[in-house]
Amino acid sequence: MADPGEAGREELGVAHRDPPPAASSPSGDGAAAEEEEPAAAEGASEGEAGEAGGGGEAKAEPPDGEVRPGRGGRPYRTKEKKQKVDEDEIQKMQILVSSFSEEQLNRYEMYRRSAFPKAAIKRLIQSITGTSVSQNVVIAMSGISKVFVGEVVEEALDVCEKWGELPPLQPKHMREAVRRLKSRGQIPNSKYKKIIFH
Amino acid sequence: MADEEEDVPFEEDAEEAGGGLDGGQGKRKRLFSKELRCMMYGFGDDQNPYTESVDILEDLVIEFITEMTHKAMSIGRQGRVQVEDIVFLIRKDPRKFARVKDLLTMNEELKRARKAFDEANYGS
Repeated sequence: MADPGEAGREELGVAHRDPPPAASSPSGDGAAAEEEEPAAAEGASEGEAGEAGGGGEAKAEPPDGEVRPGRGGRPYRTKEKKQKVDEDEIQKMQILVSSFSEEQLNRYEMYRRSAFPKAAIKRLIQSITGTSVSQNVVIAMSGISKVFVGEVVEEALDVCEKWGELPPLQPKHMREAVRRLKSRGQIPNSKYKKIIFH
Repeated sequence: MADEEEDVPFEEDAEEAGGGLDGGQGKRKRLFSKELRCMMYGFGDDQNPYTESVDILEDLVIEFITEMTHKAMSIGRQGRVQVEDIVFLIRKDPRKFARVKDLLTMNEELKRARKAFDEANYGS
């Protein structure tokens, strides 16, 4: 298997086996946890917070565990327990990131820092609605679009691996990934009327 | 074949936006090429992803945003897109839901921190 492609995904999946998100994790890679783990909002805070590059990403999370919201799907916890679990998570992430190779650090930095440009997203949404939208809407939309891209790319990498081929991803992998996600209902499509009973 | 199923929706997208050109959105300029490349690398693809794959992803993202926007316009306050509508639409998808909650909470924290910082400067 291609080293960079697999190593990048495996490493990001390793630390998240411990606190498994209850409702998600469709693929065994722990791919679901990848999205939830980095609490720092790249889209919202990257430009303003001015974080140190590369491995400093994990340390930028707030030390005060209280303000962290509960993850979707996790069972209810008391505040102290939540704080301790978050601290454990932060510590584990720090240990993990500190043991990354250079190539893995690069990929992790790209994973955290890449984001859609807010201006373009705002322009796109406003061209569809015809009215102006608030900043929070742009933040939310950029965030879930990035998660969406992640889902498609991860599915495409699964397809690529299953077909015994190597990255870079080809359009046929992307199309097969979209077909699979559509059948799982993860791609919104309001164009065709669904006929439930033939 | 599965491929043909996928070709039809993509061509329809092109007709809607570009005016009948085959192979994706012909006339529209590429909005997210650079950012999508970085994103694909971050999510596990090669450091130099294929341009065709990036184009397919861009079309997918634009379609996704368009669908979400239309749905959000039809619920809650009609004709407007509000955060509550997006959160409502996303409620069934645990990843996206958690992500939106995180982002909005972080944004509030940052606003509060910046405000406190500005007030501290003003006082001293």
